[in-house]
Amino acid sequence: MMDTSSASPSAILPISLDAPRLIPHQPLVTVKGLVKHYGRIRAVDQVDLEVYPGEVLGIVGESGSGKSTVLRLLNLQEPADAGEYHLNIPQVSPRNLLELDRFQKREIRTLHIGVVYQHPHLGLRMYYTSSGNVAERLLVTGERTFSVLRRAARESLAASEFPADRIDDPPAVLSGGMQQRVQLAKAIALKPALLLLDEPTTGLDVSIQATVLDTLKHLQRETNITTILVSHDLGVIRTLADRVMVMQHGRVVETGLTDQILEDPQAAYTQQLVYAKL
Amino acid sequence: MYIATKGGEAAIQQAESLYHQLKGQVTLETVRHIEATMPYLLDRVMGEASLYAPELAALAIAQTGGDLYEAVLLLRAFRSTQPRIAYAQPVTPESMVTVRRISAAFKDIPGGQVLGPTLDYSHRILRLDILDNRQAPAEEEPAELPETPAEAVYPLLADWQRENGLLEPLPAANPVEPADIPDVTRDPIMMPAPRAHRLQALARADTGGVLALGYSSMRGYGLIHPTVNELRLAHAEVMVEHPVTGVPFSAGRVRVSQAEVVSKDASGFKIGFAATLGWNEMKLIAASMLDLEMNSENSHPALSEDFVLYHTEPVESSGFCIHFKLPHYVTFASSMDAVRRVQALYRGAKATATEAEEELSS
Amino acid sequence: MSLKDLTAQASAAQGYSYAYLDLFAKRELRRRILKAIAIPGCQIPYASRELPIARGWGTGGLQVTLSLVGPESVVKVIDQGADDSVNAANLRRFIARMSGAETTTDTLKATIIQSRHRIPEERLKEGQALVLQVPDPEPLRSVEANMAKAREMHADTDYGQMWLTLYEQLVRYKQYIQGASYPVMVHKRYVMSPSPIPRWDNPALHQAQHLTLLSAGREKRLYAVPPYTNVYPLEFSDVPFEVEDQTGRVCVRTGAQNKFMNELPQADGSSLFELSDTGYADKLVAHDPPGATYYDDQGNFYHDGYLKRQP
Repeated sequence: MMDTSSASPSAILPISLDAPRLIPHQPLVTVKGLVKHYGRIRAVDQVDLEVYPGEVLGIVGESGSGKSTVLRLLNLQEPADAGEYHLNIPQVSPRNLLELDRFQKREIRTLHIGVVYQHPHLGLRMYYTSSGNVAERLLVTGERTFSVLRRAARESLAASEFPADRIDDPPAVLSGGMQQRVQLAKAIALKPALLLLDEPTTGLDVSIQATVLDTLKHLQRETNITTILVSHDLGVIRTLADRVMVMQHGRVVETGLTDQILEDPQAAYTQQLVYAKL
Repeated sequence: MYIATKGGEAAIQQAESLYHQLKGQVTLETVRHIEATMPYLLDRVMGEASLYAPELAALAIAQTGGDLYEAVLLLRAFRSTQPRIAYAQPVTPESMVTVRRISAAFKDIPGGQVLGPTLDYSHRILRLDILDNRQAPAEEEPAELPETPAEAVYPLLADWQRENGLLEPLPAANPVEPADIPDVTRDPIMMPAPRAHRLQALARADTGGVLALGYSSMRGYGLIHPTVNELRLAHAEVMVEHPVTGVPFSAGRVRVSQAEVVSKDASGFKIGFAATLGWNEMKLIAASMLDLEMNSENSHPALSEDFVLYHTEPVESSGFCIHFKLPHYVTFASSMDAVRRVQALYRGAKATATEAEEELSS
Repeated sequence: MSLKDLTAQASAAQGYSYAYLDLFAKRELRRRILKAIAIPGCQIPYASRELPIARGWGTGGLQVTLSLVGPESVVKVIDQGADDSVNAANLRRFIARMSGAETTTDTLKATIIQSRHRIPEERLKEGQALVLQVPDPEPLRSVEANMAKAREMHADTDYGQMWLTLYEQLVRYKQYIQGASYPVMVHKRYVMSPSPIPRWDNPALHQAQHLTLLSAGREKRLYAVPPYTNVYPLEFSDVPFEVEDQTGRVCVRTGAQNKFMNELPQADGSSLFELSDTGYADKLVAHDPPGATYYDDQGNFYHDGYLKRQP
């Protein structure tokens, strides 16, 4: 799925499914100097990044590059050892999110961030209904009307192209692709500002990967949700990401527009990565 | 003083009378006999009751007709009525009068392997000759009196191992006021439990429960192959300070026992420990293994402190188990109501529809 | 009144403290009870003492009663609503022996009512304390078996999974399937298990005139609902909580209706019904006018609008 069109760097193109878009606003997500050690291993070593509203930033690297750790830190799941992390939305104070207490972090995670994990059992309650998994997001924010919960679950699952007659099946009996759709529905249920995708299609059958990727792409374009996508798969990056950040050994090697990085990689490591895969 | 009496009370009285009639009278003789001839039974009950009172333990066993869980409950209930009047000084293993002390870790250890009183190596054969009325039963060979008496105290094997870098050194001494020592009989138990609570809970734990969980870990759920580092049966002096002069004196001697087990980890050995009032070797070996295992990150219930400490509590577990005999007919009625509603719904008995009900029936 | 006088009244209690428990135990219990009253619905851990009654048979409730009782108290003890149940009779005997307090079967005369799994039908008033025996104090048990994690969930007001369980019940069974022990929200802060009282009795906890104390001896937790506190069952706004259906049930002893009934299976396959609250039934049989009840004879609850679906 190669993009054949190209955009002039300074023009703002009308939103279409294929053209990468340049957005001249303030970044939604700002990260500076992110650091995380595990013992003597520097899993994340001075990472800076910015993501603009409506944009998809891909983070690519091999396993051990630190890309999944970055995602976990941005999801406020683990404490960082250093760094600043800001979400530029009105409901969130200008404070560094990494310094919030656990209660505040939980609130941010619930209301403003959605996450899809590679392994569904990390993001889902496998033996509750799929609709229940989605409804739980609203329950946690205090929604107490059953018909509203049902409707919201139905709508979210429909937006993730999940079959309507199976919304009450538990994830444990669903295929891998369906499980990812439930995760996605759960992630967008509260219409968060930021969507984090950690290898969302890795491990799925190739044909299923294509359909799930398709859904992700449609959803992102329709809702314009700011997204950070982690993957080791350049094909996935190419399909979804507007810009891409290459990581190796916990550091950022190169950042740029997806097409530029993939067609004309500058750094040696990126060259290795690109030419090895194609 | 008016006590409302109804049918239920008369039934209780009669049930109790019938029980005592079937069991037979408890006499002082019976109690003395138990006290004199069943030391291991006494020790098990006293250990689980965390009350050292051999006469009362014998009475409890006689009174309950040998129902050990009831006997432990009697003693614990009695213990609840006793005020704490003093704190004894800590007992160190190296200072206890030790009559039995063995190690499976080495063939011989400083001080020697002291077998003490044990049937470990005997044949488990019923002495039917005792039942034979026609002749006096053969007497056991008396133990020989040695020329030189055995040592009263022995060094700790674990100290030798620590000196040799096989075990981690003990943490720095952190003296605590006796009244500040966490006490599982005075404080609510919360997980993760302070070490004092854990060791106290294991000391008072149900022998059968500890054995079952310890066994499951020995058999394969555990990650380790433990070795009995040292097992001791001893008598400890209960040293108390005189309230006026401050001079320590012995308030008496109690039987105590302790076990240490070790297992290998990457850089050395880890040690598990358990001790109790009275002599109860089997419980201690299992309990010290659980002490070791409860620190691992394994999620198996027998290796979780929460699971082990809650479910090896003899009074709690036996009481809750038998409480199921109590009437539960109100809760049952409530469940029947819920079941009947669901059955009615599936038979299509509902008529009106609100939006929620449409959701429910979709 | 000297300690000697106090203990002399407990005639069979030679050598025991007044009300069996020693002073320090009673003092600790009272402090815990005060803390529980100060934080409605929050489980307060306490060091539960062993009593001469097996765990699981009411030692938690008994410890609370023994720390409250005095020589002037009037004590009623019921089990499943009955004064003459063997368990209730046993506990009542013990309390009377150890405290010298008067006992009664009349709900309105009692100052302390210790109960296993029921609230009396007659409304309790200011100055009365209801002590409920609790087997499992943790309402989150079905979603989180680990006590330490459950404590964290309460501390964080993290009840999402509890609500999810109710949602799942509606999806699978089209109604709430919890029988007794229906979880409630107390004072808008803590989710609490009301003990295994039937759903019928849950509403009696809301804006009550009396003090309710709940105690679990084996699990070593106690909690409280002070008078005039809001207590609402966990329910969705569009799927109301419902009590057990007593329609058509007539007490074979008294002819009463719209109160909680025991079902008595008959040999021919049918059922007869009788009032679960024996103290109340006795009054009706003796033509003694009973006090005002939580549900009137038509089955309407006395706080209007509290139960959204009524006959």
